[in-house]
Amino acid sequence: MKDWLMRLMDFVAPSGSEAPVVKALLDDVREAADETWVDALGNGMARKRGHGPLLMLAAHVDEAGVMVIDIDPRGYLRLVSVGEVHARECVGRQVRFTNGATGLVHADPAKQGDLDFDALVVDVGARSREDAERIAPIGTAGAVEVPVVTWGQSLVTGRAVDNRLGCAVAAEVFRKLAASGRNVCVAFTAQNAVGARAAQAAAFQLEPRYALVIDGASADDMWHDHPAIGLGKGPVLKVMDRATVVPLEGKRAVEDAALRLNLPLQYEVSREAWSDTGGIQLARAGCVAVGLGYPVRRAGAFAMTADLSDAERLVDLAVATAEAWLG
Amino acid sequence: MPKYLSVFKQLLEAHGGPGFEEDVRNLILPHLSEYASQIWTDPLGNLVGLVPGVGEGRRPRVLVSAHIDEIALVVTRIEAGGFLRLAQAGGFDPRALVGQEVLVHTQSGRIFGVIGAKPPHLTPPSERSKAAKLEDLYVDLALPEEEVRSRVRIGDRVTIHRAPLDLLNGRIAGKSVDNRASAAVLLEALALLKGMAHSADLYAVFTVQEEVGLRGARTAGFGLAPDIAIAVDVTFGAFPGQAPDESFPLEGGVAISFGPNLHRRVFKRLVDCAEKYRVPYQIELSQRPVGADANAFQISGPGLAAALIGPPIRYMHTSVETVAYDDIWQCARLLAHYVAEVDAAQVEELTCY
Amino acid sequence: MLLKELTEAFGPTGFEDEVRGIVRRELDAMGLSVRTDVLGNVIASAGAHRPGLRVMLDAHMDEVGLMVTHIGEGRDEGGLLRFRPLGGVDPRVLVSKPVVVGERRIPGVIGAKPVHLQEASEREKPIPMEKLYIDIGARDAEDARRHVKPGDPVVFATKYEELPHRMAKAKSFDDRVGCYILLEALRRWKGDLAVFAAFTVQEEIGLRGAHAAAYQIEPDIAIALEGTVAHDVVDTPSHGQSTVVGKGPAITVQDAQTVASRRFAEFLWETAKARNIPVQWRRVKGGSNDFGAIHRIGKGVLGGAISVPVRYIHAPTQVVSLDDVMHAVDLVVAVLDEIAKGGFRP
Repeated sequence: MKDWLMRLMDFVAPSGSEAPVVKALLDDVREAADETWVDALGNGMARKRGHGPLLMLAAHVDEAGVMVIDIDPRGYLRLVSVGEVHARECVGRQVRFTNGATGLVHADPAKQGDLDFDALVVDVGARSREDAERIAPIGTAGAVEVPVVTWGQSLVTGRAVDNRLGCAVAAEVFRKLAASGRNVCVAFTAQNAVGARAAQAAAFQLEPRYALVIDGASADDMWHDHPAIGLGKGPVLKVMDRATVVPLEGKRAVEDAALRLNLPLQYEVSREAWSDTGGIQLARAGCVAVGLGYPVRRAGAFAMTADLSDAERLVDLAVATAEAWLG
Repeated sequence: MPKYLSVFKQLLEAHGGPGFEEDVRNLILPHLSEYASQIWTDPLGNLVGLVPGVGEGRRPRVLVSAHIDEIALVVTRIEAGGFLRLAQAGGFDPRALVGQEVLVHTQSGRIFGVIGAKPPHLTPPSERSKAAKLEDLYVDLALPEEEVRSRVRIGDRVTIHRAPLDLLNGRIAGKSVDNRASAAVLLEALALLKGMAHSADLYAVFTVQEEVGLRGARTAGFGLAPDIAIAVDVTFGAFPGQAPDESFPLEGGVAISFGPNLHRRVFKRLVDCAEKYRVPYQIELSQRPVGADANAFQISGPGLAAALIGPPIRYMHTSVETVAYDDIWQCARLLAHYVAEVDAAQVEELTCY
Repeated sequence: MLLKELTEAFGPTGFEDEVRGIVRRELDAMGLSVRTDVLGNVIASAGAHRPGLRVMLDAHMDEVGLMVTHIGEGRDEGGLLRFRPLGGVDPRVLVSKPVVVGERRIPGVIGAKPVHLQEASEREKPIPMEKLYIDIGARDAEDARRHVKPGDPVVFATKYEELPHRMAKAKSFDDRVGCYILLEALRRWKGDLAVFAAFTVQEEIGLRGAHAAAYQIEPDIAIALEGTVAHDVVDTPSHGQSTVVGKGPAITVQDAQTVASRRFAEFLWETAKARNIPVQWRRVKGGSNDFGAIHRIGKGVLGGAISVPVRYIHAPTQVVSLDDVMHAVDLVVAVLDEIAKGGFRP
């Protein structure tokens, strides 16, 4: 899983620019599926027909980033955020755009205090506006560059660990359930970072009875002796975020599966996150949707660390929960 | 005559916040069975009862909802000493939580707790004039830390512990009057409707997760696809310092909502019905989508004709919400008469603009 | 003159009746199939049963306005009307403006305590809405009640006028320009495509009508026609302008509710360039339009927005370039043309 994850992390894919990652993921699961397709909003879907009620797996592909909104006469770019990004996270950093171009972000020294995106310009080495328009036209998205580092056997740190790791987990669970003849599909969803905008359309198309949504869960073991969520302590059951409350029957199913497998289980209550789980749960006349996660230590929008052992145990937990539901 | 006063009080004593309304559903189920020919629970947990109308061909479909979740809290962390930190599921005023008795719902049963704050003796004057924030509050279970860690988990739900109180004039104060009062309205209305002929098929829906974004209403509206969807939800009882259009006297009658979110013909029919059957009513104005199930109903699927009625209550979203049972009764009367009179012609009219 | 008639019509969010009447009259005259849904959206179609792509064009009929909430009593307040906003009216632009109230179109003015009687600290802040009243000239509450009632909708009383160099001023260019563009495009469009025109309600309070209209139509492609913010005025550097009046219709890359499909945005841009229609990018992230709702409905919808720059949007007097309006019509017709010829596949 580590090599695959590192390849997935290499894609710059802010909300709206998911296509290349979606393609890579669909290529990866194609053999296990009866059909794959990409929908109008950029969600990548794969389905395998089998017996029993339909289970939808989901993991969002996109990350938060920036977008070129204007180019000034001298060839410097102006940015806006895509999703939750603070302007100060970009100052002095290199931004890699989806088309491969790279720029350096400068902050206006005359602006003190809490910076916003109005105070930033990006130098892409252009000599004029026309030059810049060729390098990174208005509408181009990008993300702050962060080198990937691995620590020991299972710790990976870099950009977009969350949620490329989730995508890898979802793909793996899909393969396992498909191989055992279950009725299962996986959606690699788009536009989560800008407010979970596309997941509901995916669920609308698939009409699942159950859904398992895989995403990162913010760890706080950097600051607390008794952390709510820590790396290496196992998968996470997401109880509540701004978009969803876990259904009781779903919670019980996950807890029973964890007990049977003798897996440690952590719990997340998030005041900030807006998960895909909400939209999926409320598509059409509703379904039983549960969010599961792997702990991730976040240092802002662009850098984070996860432990692959948590992801591996998450795969087992998700498969066991699904098998209990699907019979 | 009102039948469900004691059931209403039972409902006020039940505990069920967004996503864990099981106990409340189970309390309502036997009563709903007296009226509904079919009952089911949808994937979100909405409790639906169908009371069919009479007549050949396609009958009008009317959905009436009352959300049964109360605002609740969730454990986010266990601190040193065994104190619990909280997040909210639904809108609390943290100042009204200070000193509040609560119940923590754990796998091994309910544990009693108190939401703590520093006593005045230890609070410097500068702090005393600042309002508490939810992140600064904690639950004290009066148990040793190890016992707390073994019994309580992050994600466990916390509800207000408050028995209902009988005040003067048939007024009742307690927690979860928002919106168990409307559940009582539905039950009273169903009882009245049993004695009336109606052509409409009525779907009585006890919705869930309203307090965290009208979630039950979204799936119920889509799944049942009614012609008309009426939400019953409480509104602001009169109190000093409230603007006149946000202040409705108790015993002043049913608040019937008017505004862009609500279908003007259904509104007019409700008002005409109230006039005809001498139901005291007050008009509540809105300029935006309302903070109740009717909001979700209006933009469900192809769009629905939505309405909102309800009794006024004081002290909304505290543990002493106060309602006059008389207003609940009048609301039920209006609802029953309205539903009894819905016919195919009224449904046709909904697209006459 | 249709644009004048549309912008002067009384149609605050939730009370679009007068605009609906004009739109229906124009659509009937074109011989299109027209219906109105439960929310009050008007939906017209041309070639609805043609096989192939279903294209939805959208414009909203509502404008921002006010609602009377209370009739004042007593010596100081008797007969004065308290109000709240219908949609996102900028409270700073309300004071000292003439308005029109309710079904009977009663004229009124929005007034506040005169500056002579204000404290220095009061004068430094915009007057809050709670301190403003609508005055219809009533002597007392009883007098007022003979003419208006709580719940009555209110709009600004601005008249449409053309200015030199093909500019114009009026209220509610947001989004009567969209309605106008859509009607004119339908008049000119002759081609082989299933086209649905949705004139929606209640965009200003959450894109409400568009949710329902998109669900009913199930389009493959949707384009919202909107009036959008232009702040190309003194003291504004290029990156604070959003759009420039006179430089043509604007295409969105991102707004508060949408990350635009790059492929479709480029298709709109290339279509404009190929036919020499001036076009610009919408260079700001804030604001939204019906496409914000439409694209998420059902299985998801591809498309975007074509916007006309409007100065002083959500204010009583707005300014546009009529050239931008006509170019927007040209662009819409050109886009339909290209799609009908297979120039864009979802």
